[in-house]
Amino acid sequence: MSIYGEYEAILQKVMEDIEGRLLAYQEKVQSETGENAYEHLLARIKTDESMREKCVRKGLPETAETALVTMTDAIGIRVVCSFVDDVFNIVEYIRTFKDCEIIEEKDYIRHAKPNGYRSYHIILAVHTEESDVLGNTPGTYYVELQIRTIAMDTWAALEHRMKYKKDIPNQELLVGELKRVADELASCDLSMQTIRELINS
Amino acid sequence: MNILLAEDEKDLSRALVAVLEHKGYKVTPVYDGEAAVEEAKSGAFDCMVLDIMMPKMDGITALTIMRESGDTTPVLMLTAKSEMNDKVAGLDAGADDYLTKPFVMVELLARIRSLTRRSGEYTPKKLSFGSVTLDISGQELISENSVRLAGMEANLMEFLMMNPNKSFTTEEIFSRVWKDAEEGPDVVWIYISYLRNKLRSIVADVEINGEKGGSFILEPMK
Repeated sequence: MSIYGEYEAILQKVMEDIEGRLLAYQEKVQSETGENAYEHLLARIKTDESMREKCVRKGLPETAETALVTMTDAIGIRVVCSFVDDVFNIVEYIRTFKDCEIIEEKDYIRHAKPNGYRSYHIILAVHTEESDVLGNTPGTYYVELQIRTIAMDTWAALEHRMKYKKDIPNQELLVGELKRVADELASCDLSMQTIRELINS
Repeated sequence: MNILLAEDEKDLSRALVAVLEHKGYKVTPVYDGEAAVEEAKSGAFDCMVLDIMMPKMDGITALTIMRESGDTTPVLMLTAKSEMNDKVAGLDAGADDYLTKPFVMVELLARIRSLTRRSGEYTPKKLSFGSVTLDISGQELISENSVRLAGMEANLMEFLMMNPNKSFTTEEIFSRVWKDAEEGPDVVWIYISYLRNKLRSIVADVEINGEKGGSFILEPMK
């Protein structure tokens, strides 16, 4: 049995619900403007293996309660956009969800991490009719969302590779270069955003 | 090139204006120190020629005020022949060169050429205004956050940060920053738009105000 126990099916349902709302939003924006609200969307439930590994790493018991309440990333959704403004539009759309609560919000776009990482993070508490692991009905499930541009996404993939690969020659130099490239990409993202505004105005 | 000329002797001023304009300079003549400070506040000059002995405010006091406000425009002081102390005081107050009266016009012209030729060297490596720092060598715009600026964006930002709180027309900005390049003044609006979005993205507390095709000013956010 997976760490999520009997709640795995509900987890799947909650993920599909939020994913479905974002897909509907894409269709709505496309029909209204002819442009995409975002380029692509990835939704996943953290595998049993990585959730257990994370519990062990944090010194927490490998239980459904840890996985579903203490950890908030059992459901992860990444939305990748073409333009910076699209990111903020999606954040505003998520704010309209009446049955959800934003319990944590980090704007790493306006406040980039020191290494240059940029992305918009939201932790959403979804209130559903289904029961949760704490015995509440209606219950609460958590979804972590990362919303960012294609450039930010490409950068994050490169940075991730750097973080997990050992013995990279010139590591320090490359860390500095990654930061510089992050700032250049941020600048390009904003230039493209500006050109789009100039075209549409 | 724009020159601010502060000289209270009307005849000398007229003669200087005539010669400088003949050589292709655009000259703004003022006749006292207070007016010089006012003009320096509102306009961008490539060089300023300041007489020391002037009514209302002397040239050294005027220069001191300008330098304290962050104005790094090259300054040529005009001093009376006998006053060695004036030369020292002028240079210490931030003058880049001096010329003793009476002088010959060719020397004045040569000194202006020399000062304007070197003007690039007076640019500091980092400029700050409000929460924003522009690292000129790294072409980096920094506040809460940082972004890299591409070539002309960095040049335009440098110009605005060297002249904060001053209003410039699109044409003035174009001729000073693009040096009358082929693109034409329409390029100014595009680059102002880039910089606005980039200032916003680094959560700057200063902004560029103005309308497309009009005048622009870098000032603290209201």
